[in-house]
Amino acid sequence: MAPAVRIQYRSAIVGGDRMVMTRGGLAEGADATHFGFSTVPLGDKQGLVDEVFHKVAGRYDLMNDMMSGGLHRLWKNELVSMLDPRPGERRAWRHLDVAGGTGDVAFRIVDALERRVRRRGGRLDRAAAEVTILDINGDMLGVGRERAVKRYGADSVLDFVQANAESLPLEAASLDSITIAFGIRNVPRIDAALGEFYRALRRGGRFLCLEFAPMDTPGLDRVYEAFSFHVIPRIGQIVAGDAEPYRYLVESIQRFPRPEAFAAMIARAGFQRASFKPLTGGIVNIHSGWKL
Amino acid sequence: MSEHHQPAPQPASGIDPKLLEILVCPVTKGVLEYDAAKQELVSRAAKLAYPIRDGIPIMLPEEARKLD
Repeated sequence: MAPAVRIQYRSAIVGGDRMVMTRGGLAEGADATHFGFSTVPLGDKQGLVDEVFHKVAGRYDLMNDMMSGGLHRLWKNELVSMLDPRPGERRAWRHLDVAGGTGDVAFRIVDALERRVRRRGGRLDRAAAEVTILDINGDMLGVGRERAVKRYGADSVLDFVQANAESLPLEAASLDSITIAFGIRNVPRIDAALGEFYRALRRGGRFLCLEFAPMDTPGLDRVYEAFSFHVIPRIGQIVAGDAEPYRYLVESIQRFPRPEAFAAMIARAGFQRASFKPLTGGIVNIHSGWKL
Repeated sequence: MSEHHQPAPQPASGIDPKLLEILVCPVTKGVLEYDAAKQELVSRAAKLAYPIRDGIPIMLPEEARKLD
């Protein structure tokens, strides 16, 4: 598939000359990874991804709305309904949302927990649940924290931690569930992150991951690709003032493993019952794995 | 309305104690010491002090202060 699409790179987004500008020309080794369609030295990807998100932090959710026609809201709702978080009775339910800086997924989880607690006549507090938002990007976390305070006040069940998904600063077997929505494809070493998620979960804990899939439906992929490569960067240009971060987002989707391959990676990390549920014709998938 | 409440033992920008219970050094996965005055989480094993800014622990080795 993938008819040749010419991508014009500007050095603005990569901040200099470290980026290797070959498309598919550089052998994929232990020390190289993808940055969109470019292959870049592994050590560089995080910096490049950071730059993308520094640029878009303030308007990230608005951009998501425009890029997905509002569908990301439904997808995230589905993610949370699959998670079905239960406020603990003997101890707090501990949830970690990775790459969740702006709080979009975590707030839905807090709301779901609140509804449950209220139904049994209680009040959601840290004795019932704790929801930690982890992101490598301080700007995204800043946006999320500001929103959290507006929405739930300064004293909520939410915590914020700036950290790398590849080396979580969390004790082994300390979490009941982990989610990551539209974040895993930005992680340079996906295997390392999956291993860390497995380590941090308790037995019986669940991992859920919402992520785009590269499109391969004949016909639809052309339309989707045209939209992705031509419309989305332009929307990015208009709304966020910069097309490049969105060009990266689109390219990174096409480079992400197909759902079967990603499910296999989840299983390799140790998870049981690795499965995925396609949504909206397979544009996105919710991947699931259990630590049993 | 509260009358004469003492200020909480932790500063307003402080880190939640229940979060502290499960935080470890991302490098060594070992224990952290909380330095409330400096607002740092210290990993003796990694010889790093991770800063806490506005109550958000920055658990990135490249942002940490090196200890000797």
